[in-house]
Amino acid sequence: MKKTLIATATGLLLMQPLAHANIDISGYASVIGGRVLSGSGVEGFDLPPTFLANYPLVGVYEKDWTFKPDTRFGLQFRANLMDGLSATAQVVARGADDFDARFEWAYLSYDLNENWTLQAGKKRLPLYYYSDFFDVGYAYLWIRPPADNYTWQIFNYTGINAQFNYFVGDWDISGNIYTGREDDQENKLLSQFFGSNPIREIWKDIIGGVINLNKDWLDIRLTYMTYINERYRTVGGVVERVTWGDSLTRRGKFAGISVNMDFGDWLLLSELNRLDLDGGKFDTYMVSAGYRINAFTPYLSYADFDSENEKHSTTSLGLRWDFHSNAAFKIQYDDVKDKGVPGWEVAGDSKSISFGVDLVF
Amino acid sequence: MNFRCIPALVAVLALNASVLADALVIVVHPTNAIELTTDDVSRLYLGRARTFPNGESAVPINLAEGMPAREIFDQRALSRSSAQLKAYWSKLVFTGKGTPPQEADSHEEVLKLVATNPSIIGYVPASAADERVRVVLQLD
Repeated sequence: MKKTLIATATGLLLMQPLAHANIDISGYASVIGGRVLSGSGVEGFDLPPTFLANYPLVGVYEKDWTFKPDTRFGLQFRANLMDGLSATAQVVARGADDFDARFEWAYLSYDLNENWTLQAGKKRLPLYYYSDFFDVGYAYLWIRPPADNYTWQIFNYTGINAQFNYFVGDWDISGNIYTGREDDQENKLLSQFFGSNPIREIWKDIIGGVINLNKDWLDIRLTYMTYINERYRTVGGVVERVTWGDSLTRRGKFAGISVNMDFGDWLLLSELNRLDLDGGKFDTYMVSAGYRINAFTPYLSYADFDSENEKHSTTSLGLRWDFHSNAAFKIQYDDVKDKGVPGWEVAGDSKSISFGVDLVF
Repeated sequence: MNFRCIPALVAVLALNASVLADALVIVVHPTNAIELTTDDVSRLYLGRARTFPNGESAVPINLAEGMPAREIFDQRALSRSSAQLKAYWSKLVFTGKGTPPQEADSHEEVLKLVATNPSIIGYVPASAADERVRVVLQLD
């Protein structure tokens, strides 16, 4: 009897360190192929028919089949150190970056109490509704969140984030406030697509907040963020500072609202956002509707970008099929209209098809 | 046709029907006197609440995916399909906003866990519940 007790006690002592170093590994993957069926390209830029499916990563479809622009793999490691403390790292390898795996998230998380969690490290910038889980295709309806909305060149930041969760009068109220900066030594979108010289893009003094209101089938999200933009261009090996008028920096203010309804078999999604860059207005919106028929969800979507010079929209039609408990097959047709004033086109008009599988594990 | 198989077949069918038609019960530790609504249960299992309505810490335990009672629970308590729930959790897990409840592989494991800790809440088919746990709510 005593022996058993001692054995049990020893067993518990041995077990404890293992339990404390509990590491969860989870992940996601999307394998997507596609091509442009027809498109105008942009003659002035010598651009062939092109569908820019992902702005910040320059995920580009052309007339030949490709699996690169939207294919990605992510692995998340979360060390649960108990008593509310955890460390999380996420490694992402993307076709658009030639599957060069990088740490996209790396942060510590500490639960202050049942309502507040403090996080510090590298995270995704939660600007738009889908910004922080843009890579997790399984979590949303389409092949990708509408490209016309998700156009901004910076999508990560390093800093501090405070998350909260409250329940007030039948509403779940959650959100976060964050501050930090991002210094992208060679920004892909600005250096490779919108220009040919290496651009160092800095977003500093970032301060932002998000509030989510949830009740039954209704989900409302409000977002605001402000930052200071600083930019350097390398021309012929010489670094020069980019100026706007006679100003060395410019201030961006981003605000948005998203209303989503998941009612019975219907799914209605919407987003409306504005970025004000020193008075210049960049407006984006998106509306989508899906209808669930058992494992199948056909959907329609319209997304729009409007500014003084750059104007474009995408109409999409697609189908999500949840064929497996961890995976969904998707097929989508995208019709892009580029109405930018001459010299301000992005990639011209295009009609494209893409399909593939999203999974989580 | 072997007629002797029929009673066995009937028994199997009856068993299946009883699992599907069986009520689920939400169970807690016998010393936990909390009262819960379906909404309270749903908020705990969706990661929207970390405590019972009285402020005491709560740890929900799920049944493993694919178990019949899990599917019934997802439908009755959470009003969502397994695929919808998986999409919901993948959004939270990969953005650092939450982790899904721990899973147990059997009804017995749920009962054992609940019986050892007043913070733990679980669910089992009504026919599986015994005196080790207290039934808080029945989901028909």
